[in-house]
Amino acid sequence: MTVNESTIADETDEDEAPAQSRWAPWRANTALWVFLIDIVVILIFGALSPDHVFFNSQNLTNIALDSAAITLLAAGVAVLLGAGELDISIGANIILSSVIGGKVMFAAAGGSEENFGVFTDLPKGIALGVVTTLVCGALFGLVNGLIVTKMKVNSFITTLGTLGIGTGAALVITGGGNVQGIPFEFQEGYGINTWAGIPIPFIVSLVLIAIIWWLVNKTKFGIHGLAIGSSREAARRAGIKIERNVLVLFVMVGFVAGIAAVLDLARFTSTNVGGHETDALAAIAGAVIGGTALFGGKASITGAFFGSLLAVILLTGLVILGFPPYFQSITIGVVLIIAVFVRARSWALRNQT
Amino acid sequence: MRDARKEYGHVRALQGASLTLHRGEILALVGDNGAGKSTLLKSLCGAVRLDSGLIEIDGQPVDLSSIETAKDLGIEAVYQDLSLAPDLTVADNVFLGREIVYQGIRGRLGMLDRPTMATESNEALQALGINLKSVSISVERLSGGQRQAVAIARAVRWATVAILLDEPTAALGTRQTRIVLDTIRNAAARGLGVLIISHDMPRMLELADRIIVLRHGRDVAQYRAGETSINQIVGAMLGETVQA
Ligand SMILES: Nc1ncnc2c1ncn2[C@@H]1O[C@H](COP(=O)(O)OP(=O)(O)OP(=O)(O)O)[C@@H](O)[C@H]1O
Ligand SMILES: [Mg+2]
Repeated sequence: MTVNESTIADETDEDEAPAQSRWAPWRANTALWVFLIDIVVILIFGALSPDHVFFNSQNLTNIALDSAAITLLAAGVAVLLGAGELDISIGANIILSSVIGGKVMFAAAGGSEENFGVFTDLPKGIALGVVTTLVCGALFGLVNGLIVTKMKVNSFITTLGTLGIGTGAALVITGGGNVQGIPFEFQEGYGINTWAGIPIPFIVSLVLIAIIWWLVNKTKFGIHGLAIGSSREAARRAGIKIERNVLVLFVMVGFVAGIAAVLDLARFTSTNVGGHETDALAAIAGAVIGGTALFGGKASITGAFFGSLLAVILLTGLVILGFPPYFQSITIGVVLIIAVFVRARSWALRNQT
Repeated sequence: MRDARKEYGHVRALQGASLTLHRGEILALVGDNGAGKSTLLKSLCGAVRLDSGLIEIDGQPVDLSSIETAKDLGIEAVYQDLSLAPDLTVADNVFLGREIVYQGIRGRLGMLDRPTMATESNEALQALGINLKSVSISVERLSGGQRQAVAIARAVRWATVAILLDEPTAALGTRQTRIVLDTIRNAAARGLGVLIISHDMPRMLELADRIIVLRHGRDVAQYRAGETSINQIVGAMLGETVQA
């Protein structure tokens, strides 16, 4: 047995040799890298922008508000990716949930076409509208989850399908337009309200992202999801309830889309049916740039936060520098591919030794 | 286990196989490809259901209807691959599906007690003579032999009756195989019954106490490891010399 122990000790040395440096854990921390890239990009835009307007507090507040939805979505998608599943229907979910929730809010608050902006039952209407939106979001996720777990349809195909269904249904309801006339009071109280200079929706997102981080890293539920994404067979053999876990994850992502839908209503006092085509791309890209594995097993919530923040910073910066906003999706595409390439290469290097 | 039978459609994988596994004993199950070894092992760990047959533990008939039931009864299986989740840490793998949570409210929220899990994983590994630098590194950073050793340590940590291994060394080199075989010996020394499937005859002669030969879904021969030879076993596998 002594011989045996020394054999194993040898192997350990061999296997861990590449990671022995004190800095190794930091070098391997994708979230940290992405955070640093965020900082660098902010500094560059700050330096380049006329009168350094990029640094002014109004602009930073805008970035925070603009990133409230996408950072939360990216965090949700990261968990789902960690379990080896995908949801590309989040944009459609946001559209449909905000349309239904917006209609309910308008009606329940006692709004009418004739008396624009006059509401007879404001608090009840807003509360009911918010709850409806969130429930719709979660139900949308539940439908996705049920199709994936019960009907065993691959999640990419499932959510590609519900992406079409959700968007179409929303447009049928509105007749192709937007739901308008959401109370300004809701906008003032939530959508554009700040606390200590920080937009309240951004604070809400931060709190929810923190909860998601805790779930993934500190709980049984989180570890089960990663186990499923890492090796479905190993998870099954360990007695993990795979279907239930995946279903809950889809509902969670749906709920998170519901939060984004509420924010739409509150920010614009209307729905934004044309504004969510690239949400899924941006959320998945943000998660993957931040170190989440596209095929499961790893989910970095901090990475997803900084990765999706990058998209917002780029958009804002490019617009300030006078580029058309379309350049954002070009840059995100490029960054996504570079990020995945760099990571694959560093993996290959690590496994060579 | 007595007179186990299992058919997959027209394929009769098991047609009346019997075996007895004692505590503290290493029993090697050998046979040609398709002899039904894996099917037999799976029926003992609850992964497949027998069409007919009787399985007893300490003389009590048991119904191994699922992997969970088998686990509850103290039977753990180790597979050639896919036993561990590579992205998770060693400790998280040892406790996968049986995590320790904190007491009180944090526990009800499902919050993992990682310090305790780390300590206990370490103890489980040390008990089998496996020394890893840390149980908080992910399994994908271990060598194949170390992974299999961890998988066995996990099985031993939870098993109270027996551990079943299906070709645990098939993908491993000589040195890595030794790690795994030593771990198996230590497991048996702790009083567990060990059933191991392998095509590696010389090693099985060295490792096992008894060897049982399966052919066409039947147990056709049984030998004490010290009293047989590779030729004799191979003969029985191929059906050249059929003996009791
Ligand atoms: N899930 C299944 N569906 C249909 N037939 C199966 C299934 N599993 C095994 N069989 C068949 O049952 C027979 C016994 O298979 P088993 O895997 O038990 O053999 P084995 O002894 O483990 O072989 P090997 O040494 O190749 O691993 C084979 O003929 C096989 O084709
Ligand atoms: Mg087999």
